[in-house]
Amino acid sequence: MSKKKKLSRQQPAKGHHPHRSGPQTPHAKRPMRKPVSRTPAWVAPVSVVGGLAVIVVAFLAIRYMTTPTVPPASRATTAQVISTITSLQASELEQVGEGSATKVLKKTSDQLLTGSDGKPLVFYFGAEYCPYCAAERWPLIIALSRFGTFTGLSTTTSSSTDVYPNTPTFTFHGATYTSSYITFQAVESTDRNGNALQNPSSAQQALVTKYDKADTIPFLDLGNKVVLLTPSYMPDLLAGKTWSDIATALTNPQSSESQAILGSANQLTAAICLLTSNQPSSVCTATIQAIETKL
Amino acid sequence: MSIYLTFVHFSAAQLVCSASGTIDCERVLGSGYGVIAGTAVPTSAAGLAWFLIAGALALLRNRRAQVAWSVAGLLTVVYLVFVEIVQLGAICIWCTVAHAMVVVIFLLTVTVRDGDA
Repeated sequence: MSKKKKLSRQQPAKGHHPHRSGPQTPHAKRPMRKPVSRTPAWVAPVSVVGGLAVIVVAFLAIRYMTTPTVPPASRATTAQVISTITSLQASELEQVGEGSATKVLKKTSDQLLTGSDGKPLVFYFGAEYCPYCAAERWPLIIALSRFGTFTGLSTTTSSSTDVYPNTPTFTFHGATYTSSYITFQAVESTDRNGNALQNPSSAQQALVTKYDKADTIPFLDLGNKVVLLTPSYMPDLLAGKTWSDIATALTNPQSSESQAILGSANQLTAAICLLTSNQPSSVCTATIQAIETKL
Repeated sequence: MSIYLTFVHFSAAQLVCSASGTIDCERVLGSGYGVIAGTAVPTSAAGLAWFLIAGALALLRNRRAQVAWSVAGLLTVVYLVFVEIVQLGAICIWCTVAHAMVVVIFLLTVTVRDGDA
């Protein structure tokens, strides 16, 4: 019995790895199959899946580092886009109502703030790098254009390295606004790369300090009667779209862009109507006044 | 997936998919990469053809052709994922499911031997 056991140890089964330090027998001197170490079955699929995962991560890194900017809008395109969004049909705005815009406007019980000309003052504080400011400028321009006229607006995008990179938008830096009803002041504190652009005046800084205690942008003060501290919709709605894409979408009241941007514009319009005692009546319609009561 | 996407392409039916943010089938399928370059043939139709040929090769038990075909499929998937992530910055979820199936077919082809069952 013990001899049999010994033999079985000395003659490994065919294909088994021989004991390197085992006793040498005549059988062991015969040519043997080269030892084969079979790779476990899971190695190949795991390697392939792992390799693919590395490739995907590399693609994400490339995307992150070279996020393509939205192709810059030409002067003609910019003019066309601004013309489109500042001359939207009143019936379309009425149809959208509050749309899908989040109710972010907050009423205050303070005295009406007016500019040096005695008209109610609307003050915007933001920055070109800020994606939330980028989103909020669309409805703000649409709303303000119902009470006056912008000149010198130009297109830009938010920072390429912040969240919601390269959100297409406009800048108030270098733009002027005239209106018979309100005064509009805007401060863009930095450009899209974070370089300083404008500083608020002491009076403007006082408004920021008073109402924007969390120091967030965009900040919008509508005559000290209504303030906006958070965006009314998320910038990802505009991701990857050109200004023209968005302007075109805004002519369709059913589009998700219209629902968010025009809905927000109507809320801002209602807030401005609150300051102007519902003037002009062609803008401060029953629909807008209904929104006004819900602010 | 490929049948569905090809059907949507030719019927102009509404695609069941998110249309904003990173998951945006419309942006991917509506881009220039949604069709085979220089043709009106949707990329999904090419995917459908790939799956049919892969199935035929499996029935014929032509292992070399199967491996070559699955490698070609995998490389195409890598290219399409590159297009989605780097070029378009958007993911088509239906396309991703089809891509995953190509990867599974590739793995089965290279790991399952004829004698295995």
